Amino acid sequence: MGEYALLYILFAPFAGALALIFVSNRQPLLVRSIATSAAFVSLIASLYLFYAYDPVKGGFQFIQKYEWSKQLGISLYLGVDGIGTPLVLASSILLFAGIFVSWHIKDRTKEFYIWLLILAAATIGVFMSLDLFFLYFFYEMSVIPMYLLLGMWGSHTKKYLEMTDAEGLKQRDSVGFIFNFGSNSKEYAAMKLVLFLSAFAVIALMGILLIYKYSGLNTFDILVLREQANLMNIPALGTTLDKIIWVLVFFGFASIAPLWPLHSWSPVGHAAAPAATSMLHAGVLMKLGHFSIIRVAFEILPETTRELMPIAAVLCMFSIIYGGFVAFYAKDTKYVIGYSSSSHMGYVFLGMAALNYISLSGAVIYMFAHAMATGMLFAMAGWVYDQTHTRDIPSLGGLSNKMPFISACFVVGCMASIGMPGTVNFIAEIMIIVGSWNKYPLQVIVAMLGIVLTLAYLFKMMRGLFYGPMNQKYSHAHDAISTVDRLPLLIMIAVSVGFGIFPMHLYDVVRSGVDPLVARITLVVPVAETGEGVGMRSKATPPEKTSVPQAAHTPISHTPRVSRGGRE
Amino acid sequence: MTFSLNMTFSDLLLLLPEILLTCWLCVVLIVDFSLPRLPKERLAYLSVAGLMAILGCLGWFDLNHISGTLFNNMFVLDRMAIFFKIFILGATILVILASIEYVNRFTFFRGEYYCLVVMAALGMMFMASANDLLSVFVSLEFATLGFYILVSYLRDDLASNEGGLKFFILGVFAAGLLAYGISLVYGETGKLVFSDMASTRATPGLIIGFLLIFASLGFKIGAVPFHAWIPDTYHGAPTPVTTFLSIAPKAAAFAILLRIFLVALGTFKPLWVSLLVAVSILSMTYGNIVAIAQRNIKRLLAYSGIAQVGNVLIGLAAGTKMGSDAVLFYLLAYLFANIGAFAVVIAVGQAIGRDEIEDYRGLNRRSPFLAFAMLLFLLSLAGVPPLAGFIGKLYIFVAAIKEGLYTLIAVGLINIVISMYYYLIVVKQMYINEPVDPSPIGISNPMKAVIYVGLAGTLVIGIYPQPFTDWVVSATLMFANFIGPSATVVPPSSPLGG
Repeated sequence: MGEYALLYILFAPFAGALALIFVSNRQPLLVRSIATSAAFVSLIASLYLFYAYDPVKGGFQFIQKYEWSKQLGISLYLGVDGIGTPLVLASSILLFAGIFVSWHIKDRTKEFYIWLLILAAATIGVFMSLDLFFLYFFYEMSVIPMYLLLGMWGSHTKKYLEMTDAEGLKQRDSVGFIFNFGSNSKEYAAMKLVLFLSAFAVIALMGILLIYKYSGLNTFDILVLREQANLMNIPALGTTLDKIIWVLVFFGFASIAPLWPLHSWSPVGHAAAPAATSMLHAGVLMKLGHFSIIRVAFEILPETTRELMPIAAVLCMFSIIYGGFVAFYAKDTKYVIGYSSSSHMGYVFLGMAALNYISLSGAVIYMFAHAMATGMLFAMAGWVYDQTHTRDIPSLGGLSNKMPFISACFVVGCMASIGMPGTVNFIAEIMIIVGSWNKYPLQVIVAMLGIVLTLAYLFKMMRGLFYGPMNQKYSHAHDAISTVDRLPLLIMIAVSVGFGIFPMHLYDVVRSGVDPLVARITLVVPVAETGEGVGMRSKATPPEKTSVPQAAHTPISHTPRVSRGGRE
Repeated sequence: MTFSLNMTFSDLLLLLPEILLTCWLCVVLIVDFSLPRLPKERLAYLSVAGLMAILGCLGWFDLNHISGTLFNNMFVLDRMAIFFKIFILGATILVILASIEYVNRFTFFRGEYYCLVVMAALGMMFMASANDLLSVFVSLEFATLGFYILVSYLRDDLASNEGGLKFFILGVFAAGLLAYGISLVYGETGKLVFSDMASTRATPGLIIGFLLIFASLGFKIGAVPFHAWIPDTYHGAPTPVTTFLSIAPKAAAFAILLRIFLVALGTFKPLWVSLLVAVSILSMTYGNIVAIAQRNIKRLLAYSGIAQVGNVLIGLAAGTKMGSDAVLFYLLAYLFANIGAFAVVIAVGQAIGRDEIEDYRGLNRRSPFLAFAMLLFLLSLAGVPPLAGFIGKLYIFVAAIKEGLYTLIAVGLINIVISMYYYLIVVKQMYINEPVDPSPIGISNPMKAVIYVGLAGTLVIGIYPQPFTDWVVSATLMFANFIGPSATVVPPSSPLGG
């Protein structure tokens, strides 16, 4: 029973979507209960998965393999390691929460839940695929539901996206502007999202096909390719093939992450999407990028990764700062959170770029933590929008009188997003910062500035929404009173704070996935580590030459306390 | 050359499907004449019943591996021929079912319509078996004859007449090219049967001859630069005929192309790869870019069809056993998606009376089933998982990348994104825009059956392709003799050329 956990997690939402096809829209309660139970099965199974995953044993567990196409060398090969497990859990938590967040959708309820379930199932599928084909299969499959969810249940972004600074001067996302055709409609946002993601997905597919061809193994099996594929030192186009493949795969998947300057589809998409979609989009869809880079580029091309990952280290600075500043000037609540997400994804790239045990574990935990934090924020922005039908921050205010519960939760959401101690974000952030310091001190300083920026724009938004004088137009707004409305927020807060206080299992699981990977990447040709002891004390950053992963098993729970001083 | 026709009764077994179909065609015709009061839809069901029986017979052939050649190698029945015959008959059945309602629009000759459709199918079945240049010519013209009439079946409709005329003039021109090409090839080699030509040397006359033959077949499949007739003809023809035209003749022509390129010209592969690469790139890019500007759904599907043919040509350009598998598989995926999409167009056109994309506004509110079906068909055409089109595209790309056709694959991948745009424009009309007239759209039962078959095919092939890949792999086994095993090792000096 237990070994089939992955199948339950993956196929419960699909089965729910299939069952929903046969239900009429005139029975909304039945529709919602089917969706809820499908998500619930998935959630329970992934909780089981998370706690049954054995971090001591490590490696890929709960493996399921079914041959799918002999001619092409494809099998439905599922399995999770310490990196996939928390992300699967995050996806199913957000799906479950998202179903409650969108409880009040009246228009075509059935279709909404069908597409939401398919979207979540597809993202979950990516996190557990051990076959390049299925990784791409699920990746591409998650794009079309986004189009329909945005287009059918989204909202026009109107004039909200115009930004002004303190003097009233117009600001704009100039990078986004390159691809911006000036439209504020949801159709535009949806189309931009699909075309952007598809365009970069096919770039990644090109990389995957090149891996397939040059490995000569006639298989898409990641584990086989990782062990046997020899892609090094093949000259091509004036450089070597492995570099070309790496760049194709990296930028193909980085667009969904979204790495600056490929981010412009993302905030627009967030702004147009309904709340539950934004939650899944920011919470897990964006992590598909990092995850796929880890799975494909890190696993199959470890040496090239070590050589080329500084690209990410450079671009992530722009991500962090740029996203932070745009978020500061933005007036649309979801736009702020959207840019904040794309800024925070820069931290993950920083953690990945530093390529050591602590920083990469931090990056993975950050993905999990950010899913919860941004999920909360989007859920609450969605609630405020449902009540007031505006997302324009300047026209809102003083809502804390009307919705004390929401505003209290919002404070928690902001705290989590900033990375206050006590939330899991704090642990993740500190690990990234500590782990990257030796290699990328400049980036770490930028990341700290990013934290200050986060503080600034989130507090600015909080003040704009909940405090100050109240606009009487919105006096009819009310709080989330019923269990259905409060449950999703409470779940996400509980997870965020719970893992913030008891991170050991999460940490062990992540470490068990990260350790062999980092060992592979850094061991192939040992790198002389000169920056030892430059900043943080060496206890937190084991020397990268350490060949036995177990030697790096320093309990991280001490680390935050040791290095707290570096944060403010 | 002497002809000696020693035929036994068991030889005729190879022709059994064609003989049965001819008999059935006569039966339908006689029933139509002798029972003038019979509702014409009964004729449709009668034809479908006969076709089903023949389909069963072909299935039996396939299971028992019946194969052989007839008439001095003019006619071959191998597993690939059986595959294409099943394909064509399946398409014919679906088209007949989809036309039952539409036929009421015709003022005259409603009964003959079904006979003509079956006749065209008969011609295409011969095309699937054509094994020398003469039988190619005869069967090709035989099949096209039926279509000349079918395209202009709406006698009072100017567009239909215009489409028919264009199709006819260009078709006859293509036939001329074909005949000239055949005469050149015969003059150079003295041979007509494909497998005999395999050993000949490339002379200028031979090359020109084959180029002419390729041009004429390119006309049939609608590849750029031989595509000029496609949009107007597809637009003007009665929609069920467009459906038929968009799938069956293309498949039959691909059967011939596969035999010509892989059997007759297998040794000249380095010469023709670049030709196919160029045609494929042109077709994909032109078809997809022009499709963006279309306002009429039939024209949109016409241009998308041009682009799809470009995709199939990638598999042919790979020129390997796997490439031919991919061609067959892609055609299978294309069959279900395309017939399904056209079936929705017929159903909507029947209710609204127009075929503009604008008319699909809010289709999701008027008929959720039609909108959902159309969504899946279009996404399958675009190549989105988990639908058949995605597996088809991937199969083709894998076959091509093994041969190192990087430029072609890059163009193909970019074209997926371009095509996504215009398919999604239709999706946007159906799902996002609100309907002007929210009255529900009804669907007749045969139409529902066609759409269900299309949906089932699109989803099953996409989710569990193994039986279908097995089928296409076994269908093209004989190519393994003519083309060596695929060149997996590419000279490392220039791996990113081509």
